[in-house]
Amino acid sequence: MSKRFTELSFIIGLFFIILSVILLGGYLVTDALKFKINIFSGIAFLVFGIFMVMIKSDEE
Amino acid sequence: MKLHVADYLVIILYFAFVVAVGFIIKKRIKSSNDFLNSSKNIPLWITSLAFISANLGAQEVLGMVASGAKYGIMTVHFYWVGAIFAMIFLGVFMMPFYYGSHARSVPEYLFLRFDEKTRGLNAITFAVMTVFSSGISLFALAKLLEVVLGWDFDVSIWIAAGIVLIYTFVGGLTSAVYNEVLQFFLIVLGLSPLVIVALQDAGGWEQIKANLDPKLTHAWKYMGSTDSNPMGIHFMSLIFGLGFVMSFGYWCTDFLVVQRAMIAKNMNASQRTPILAAIPKMFMPLIVVLPGVIAIALSQPGMADKGYHIPVDAAGNMDYTMTLPSLITHYYPSGLMGVGITALLASFMSGMAGNVTAFNSVFTYDIYQAYFVKKRSDRHYLRVGKMVTLFGILFSIGTAYIATSFNNINDFLQLVFSFVNGPLFATFLLGMFWKRTSPDGAFWGLLMGTVAAALTHGCTVAEGKGGWITELYTVSSGMGQAFIVAMVSWVVNFFTTIIVSLLTKPKLDSELKGLVYSLTEKPKYTGEKWYQKVVPLAVLLIILTVLLNIVFF
Repeated sequence: MSKRFTELSFIIGLFFIILSVILLGGYLVTDALKFKINIFSGIAFLVFGIFMVMIKSDEE
Repeated sequence: MKLHVADYLVIILYFAFVVAVGFIIKKRIKSSNDFLNSSKNIPLWITSLAFISANLGAQEVLGMVASGAKYGIMTVHFYWVGAIFAMIFLGVFMMPFYYGSHARSVPEYLFLRFDEKTRGLNAITFAVMTVFSSGISLFALAKLLEVVLGWDFDVSIWIAAGIVLIYTFVGGLTSAVYNEVLQFFLIVLGLSPLVIVALQDAGGWEQIKANLDPKLTHAWKYMGSTDSNPMGIHFMSLIFGLGFVMSFGYWCTDFLVVQRAMIAKNMNASQRTPILAAIPKMFMPLIVVLPGVIAIALSQPGMADKGYHIPVDAAGNMDYTMTLPSLITHYYPSGLMGVGITALLASFMSGMAGNVTAFNSVFTYDIYQAYFVKKRSDRHYLRVGKMVTLFGILFSIGTAYIATSFNNINDFLQLVFSFVNGPLFATFLLGMFWKRTSPDGAFWGLLMGTVAAALTHGCTVAEGKGGWITELYTVSSGMGQAFIVAMVSWVVNFFTTIIVSLLTKPKLDSELKGLVYSLTEKPKYTGEKWYQKVVPLAVLLIILTVLLNIVFF
């Protein structure tokens, strides 16, 4: 698992998953972030992030 | 405007990731080749996206949105005329020489093909230009953050430069390339929601066309005369000036982008790098041109109820450069605002890191090792490469502060770039495809082409610029003037190189193997699927590009 942290696709995926957590979590927690565009973008980032984490690139 | 804590979290997350990438890559850096050249070990999908991302700096993102607002859909010519064909040409015809010659940089190829003086001329001008370009990028970033967010100018400069320094210093070129890919996705995905909501708000493409002057929604239809289109350019000038001289001069010879293809794992991957990069490049107008066109449509009186207007400057003129930031602040709420701001930060930092890594390769290999300290250990050059990175960043910071005192320094820099890049392609074209081209011919052609560019600028005027020798000819737009300067410099270089080459001694055939088309064995790829082959991919992309031009005719 730790080896995957050196793969760019995994790093990018992780970045977008955390980004989606900020947007989706913020939507649930505070009124200041309760906008449809945040939730739609958050879902899109989450899907992309999971996809990037799942794929395996030949970086070695 | 004020940011929410979530916006700051997004910005901090981005900073943390780019720095972390640097430290992850640090473990792989064992030699100067790892640091400056990535040991030619980067996968194709990464080199392709880094190739396009190295060009996706601040000038590209902010500049193309601004041009979309100013010139309309004609701005797509910078992609569908001024990029794709040159990228394909680079992949099919030029990468075999760059990669096959084992040159570590574009100036080093010039050394192998011609001689030391041609390499020196190119290396010095390139090194100076990259460090200045990096500084201008930094200046623009800090200025933008100051105007939009009210952040302190000095703090923005030092933080942005500090972060780029950390990840380029510890991880070298590989770290810059990896971060460029992250930055690419951030820019594309971070700005996509903006395009969708703004397009929806404007009532869709048909509604935009109904609200705008047709000259702003057709790419070719009004190019038959210089008076009938917003760029003031005839289609022949566009095809030769942008589509040939400027485009091929930049995409095929600028080490900043070519370096990303030179670090691919093998010849096939290096050839496919610019060709695969052409696919996202083809659709990039959706992210960077369309918002500008939407913005100008929303600013029309018929759409006043939408509440958006392109900002105006102190003189009351439209400040097109602020189009993208103003769209972000208009449409993005807290949360996504942080993503939009971070996408802008990413574009600035990507451009800066690209320039710094290209600068340290050229300075270390083509200036320091070529002229000052020739035969030292690899460890020595690794240390020098790291020091050059540090000084490159410090020079960039210095340039950023110089730019605060001269409000036209960016125009000046872009102009000098066109002096350097415009004629350079003639040198490469003749050097790679005409074995009779001599070292003296290449040097004098390059020098005279650059001088001709300066003289042409000095004798033409556009939008109050140029004409510092005499005002012989007036051009209606700065863009048109740039095309004319590029064309003249290319033609002067081309013919000077031919004439001087015919009068001087060329290199022997035995010295030119692998460097000239007629003396180089062509790469053959058998048993691979069609999409792994260079030529079928190239043909497919040419057809797609022609179709896009027809659709938006």
